[in-house]
Amino acid sequence: MRGRKRAVVGALLILIGAFWWFSRPVPLSEEDLPDHLPDPANGERIFHAGGCASCHAAPGAESRDRDVLSGGLALDSPYGVFSVPNISPGMKHGIGDWEPLDFANAMLRGISPAGRHYFPSFPYTSYARMSISDVLDLKAFLDTLPASDQENAPHQMVFPFGFRRALGIWKRLYLDQNFVMAIDQEDALLERGRYLVEGPGHCGACHTPRNRVGAPRLDQWLSGAPVMEGEGRVPDITAEGLADWSEGDIGFYLETGMDPDFDVVGGDMVKVQENMARLPAEDRQAIAAYLKRAGTGAH
Amino acid sequence: MKNPVIVLMIALLGIPFAVAGEDPIQQREELMEETRDALKPLGAMAKGERDFDAEVVNASFAVWKRAGAQFGDLFPEGSESGGGTEAKSTIWTDREGFDRALAEFNEAVDKAMAAQPGSVDELKPVLGGVTKTCKGCHDGYRVKDD
Ligand code: HEC
Ligand code: HEC
Ligand code: HEC
Repeated sequence: MRGRKRAVVGALLILIGAFWWFSRPVPLSEEDLPDHLPDPANGERIFHAGGCASCHAAPGAESRDRDVLSGGLALDSPYGVFSVPNISPGMKHGIGDWEPLDFANAMLRGISPAGRHYFPSFPYTSYARMSISDVLDLKAFLDTLPASDQENAPHQMVFPFGFRRALGIWKRLYLDQNFVMAIDQEDALLERGRYLVEGPGHCGACHTPRNRVGAPRLDQWLSGAPVMEGEGRVPDITAEGLADWSEGDIGFYLETGMDPDFDVVGGDMVKVQENMARLPAEDRQAIAAYLKRAGTGAH
Repeated sequence: MKNPVIVLMIALLGIPFAVAGEDPIQQREELMEETRDALKPLGAMAKGERDFDAEVVNASFAVWKRAGAQFGDLFPEGSESGGGTEAKSTIWTDREGFDRALAEFNEAVDKAMAAQPGSVDELKPVLGGVTKTCKGCHDGYRVKDD
């Protein structure tokens, strides 16, 4: 009897230990950072590709105000309401006092300076595919933007999703730095397109359906999905879904918001399109090439 | 003076149109299609698929001017769903914002008319000014369901 009880307690302890071990944050260290002179101009390009202002600018901010990344937008989801934080260079409530390593850990590993896991509503599952040098350039650009000392509001999570430690297990299962699609490695345009779409562009965050725990279903990559919390569907943008679009049509859509029938973009795609319009034309061409020509999944 | 038979025929012919016209969902969908059809040639000019033609440009502006004046009346209570509508429920919960989006469209059209673009290079920014307001409204008040 007593032996049985001990065995149960022992098993529980092992389980808890295993949970603690598997859910622990695995951050980058100083040695992982390359010797790199940051280039804020490239950082700005990555900033637009990454759509940071779409979530981190104050809700409803127009044009130049969108440079103030004070946060405050509420993101509704089945797991609760996330309040997007301040990532301006403010010292008190922004990220002005972050070291490059802190920023790289947030973007590439989804880990905060205090060693806690971020929720994947911050699309680091895509950003994890970015190059470290682009991440360092991005931080250098963010440092040039105006500071705000707006305080962060807490998230309002639905039980039990507020338990951050458990995200460690989720990340072990779903945080994957490998690219999704196999491409012809010789083709520099396709490679750039894959990087932009699967990395900073996080197109899969909306265009790929999710499983029950909110992870993207890589076997249905970019094949369209219901709008997360709201009405309507996000369209299929695989080569099949865009069969009637030429690469030129896709580039023109990302530049102007007009589709091949000259209907005008709407919904959550508006902000994405306006960010894409700020990229050099060759980046839009690269995205178009990827959407039309990337082969079947590598997974 | 008037031939009663002709009057009757016109009245009878008018019925199907009147019935169709009473459906605000169909009316607003058609009006939006007209709006898009007016954008088509101008978009094609901006895309480099068609030569600049000031007459075509002005004709499209006129279509938008008329559409902008009629559009706001086509969202009565009770037309929130059905008929394949892509109207978002926010039109009825945030009517003020919707009206503002429509006013922005009308302003952009007035500006475009005043600008009288004389070349593709002059057309592009003017067109961008208008499509920005199409997007501005579709952003919050339309959902595509395909
Ligand atoms: C889809 C919305 C969204 C986009 C796009 C987005 N973020 Fe965030 N971000 C969030 C949310 C939500 C959080 C909070 C996550 C949490 O608390 O676990 C966050 C957190 C962060 C944090 C941590 C802040 C802190 O105080 O701990 C940083 C840094 C950050 N984001 C940077 C960026 C950058 C840089 C970009 C663009 C490349 C970006 N984000 C794009 C939603 C977004
Ligand atoms: C925040 C969610 C979101 C993100 C991120 C996003 N999209 Fe979209 N996308 C949408 C929605 C919603 C639509 C439908 C637009 C509409 O209603 O007009 C759309 C439409 C499109 C279309 C038009 C498809 C069609 O059949 O009409 C293309 C092309 C597209 N997106 C490409 C991209 C690319 C490339 C990226 C990444 C750089 C991206 N999207 C990122 C939500 C998103
Ligand atoms: C004030 C808001 C508003 C403005 C401005 C606006 N739209 Fe729309 N648009 C809508 C709404 C709402 C719908 C959905 C109507 C419905 O289905 O009931 C729609 C639908 C459409 C459709 C689909 C019509 C169909 O059912 O086939 C097209 C095409 C379109 N809009 C093009 C445009 C273009 C092009 C512009 C600018 C030149 C524009 N819209 C400006 C609100 C707007």
